[in-house]
Amino acid sequence: MSVVKKYSSITNRSLQNVLAYRTSYVITFLSNFVNLLAIYFLWQGIFNGRASVGGYTWDQMRTYLLITFLANSVLSWYSETAISGKILDGSVAADLLKPIDFQSARFAETLGTSLLEGGMSTVLIGIFILFTSGVNFPHSPLVYVLFALSLLGAMLVKFGVVYLAALLCFWSTGSMGIVWARIAVTNLLSGALVPLAFFPDWLERVALLLPFQSIIHTPTVIFLEQATAWESLSLIGVQCFWGIALWIAGKCMWNWAVRQVTIHGG
Amino acid sequence: MQLSRIIYLYKRMYAQQLKAIMEYNKDFYILLCSAALTQVLGFIFLNVIYNQIPDINGWKFWEVSFMYAMIFLTEGIGSLFFEGTWRLSGLVNRGELDRYLLRPVPIVLQVFCTGIGVNGLGNLLIGGVIIWQSLIHSHIHWSIAKIAITLLLLVSAVIIRVSINLVGNSAAFWIRNAGNAFPLMVHSMADLAKYPVTLFNQGVRILISTVLPYAFISFYPATYIFEKSGWSGWWMLAPVVAFGSAAAAYCIFRFGLTRYESTGN
Repeated sequence: MSVVKKYSSITNRSLQNVLAYRTSYVITFLSNFVNLLAIYFLWQGIFNGRASVGGYTWDQMRTYLLITFLANSVLSWYSETAISGKILDGSVAADLLKPIDFQSARFAETLGTSLLEGGMSTVLIGIFILFTSGVNFPHSPLVYVLFALSLLGAMLVKFGVVYLAALLCFWSTGSMGIVWARIAVTNLLSGALVPLAFFPDWLERVALLLPFQSIIHTPTVIFLEQATAWESLSLIGVQCFWGIALWIAGKCMWNWAVRQVTIHGG
Repeated sequence: MQLSRIIYLYKRMYAQQLKAIMEYNKDFYILLCSAALTQVLGFIFLNVIYNQIPDINGWKFWEVSFMYAMIFLTEGIGSLFFEGTWRLSGLVNRGELDRYLLRPVPIVLQVFCTGIGVNGLGNLLIGGVIIWQSLIHSHIHWSIAKIAITLLLLVSAVIIRVSINLVGNSAAFWIRNAGNAFPLMVHSMADLAKYPVTLFNQGVRILISTVLPYAFISFYPATYIFEKSGWSGWWMLAPVVAFGSAAAAYCIFRFGLTRYESTGN
């Protein structure tokens, strides 16, 4: 019980942190939205005069984009820079002294910001849907349950990827390069830019074998009802597998990395 | 101050920054590769889309690639040679601008030379290659006039990009918290200009042609180079816009500077 309390207070603190620095937060959020607009209009142009492209109709694609936006903004920039920032400025030294697990604490922190980010993007998507028509909503309540589960799974996997990337900062002096590379790879291979079904066969097969597809591909497939309930469950199972595998990889890397640590000043 | 003196000072200050970044050469390579990787993956994205369809609103693969690469190329030049604009909020918030104000060197010039973004080199290289390829693949009839105008448009594009960066980052004089959120938002608006403006509704079109003239970096030069009917002559506005945005950026920066109050410690 006390363990839960320890980490839930961290979650709470990170939520308050976001609320305290809300200006830059809202601005970051708006720039994500600009990105969504650019991609939305691009796809509108692509579907202009075409009934379906790559097996997707425009209505499906629209829904796809909104789900992508939601899944992407649930865990974004903020959590990314927070972890690597700790490593780069050496405040990780203080964390080493605390009787809490570094990885779990960072996950708890991420959870705090994600709650807010998820809430805000849901509102923004709501507004967006009011002004557009033709977004496909599934009818069966089961789909919503599975979708919610897959969003959680996506978050776990994304945290794993972000955490591993952040730990790489033990070996570098800046985080920007690593962050950019990670974002670029994740965006392409998770299906955030274009559905995996559009890829050439070999690339699609490679992408499906990697953990990134759990982040965007899985939730969208479930929401668009392109998978049956059983298939959805097995997809969520794959998410859990990657979530746990990445978590363990993060643990191993952390154990190794802290032995390399050099902290300047005091 | 004479132009030759400014160029001399710029070169000297730039060389100092170059020494500083070469100290951390692991970072140098990481930034270089990640910028190049980001661009290549963006290019793959376009390629995947065009595998499904022949054109978007009449725009072909290499034409859109050109626009895409222009945005990255100008960004690359911006961070390679004028990265300092991105450090402005740090300078203001830590009161380090005091130092610059005391020197008999133009302040904008000193701000420009506050850092070097090595990632710019990656963007520049890959962007250059993609632009080169798109010009080769598009069957353009080159003449001396066309080459000259293309170069003029390229220079205008860089000036516009750097001016917008300077304006965005000058927000640091008004928004007093650490962080680059506002300039990053202005920066991300450039995403809209990676694709033909004809995709967007009137509001967005006007925005990226006037207030944030990103369209003059990518779209309008593309209409000239690829001879798109219906847009002839629009490119002539690009040098005008470049001049205008440079002047506006300088004025906004100077105005912001009057609001600068040093932080003491």
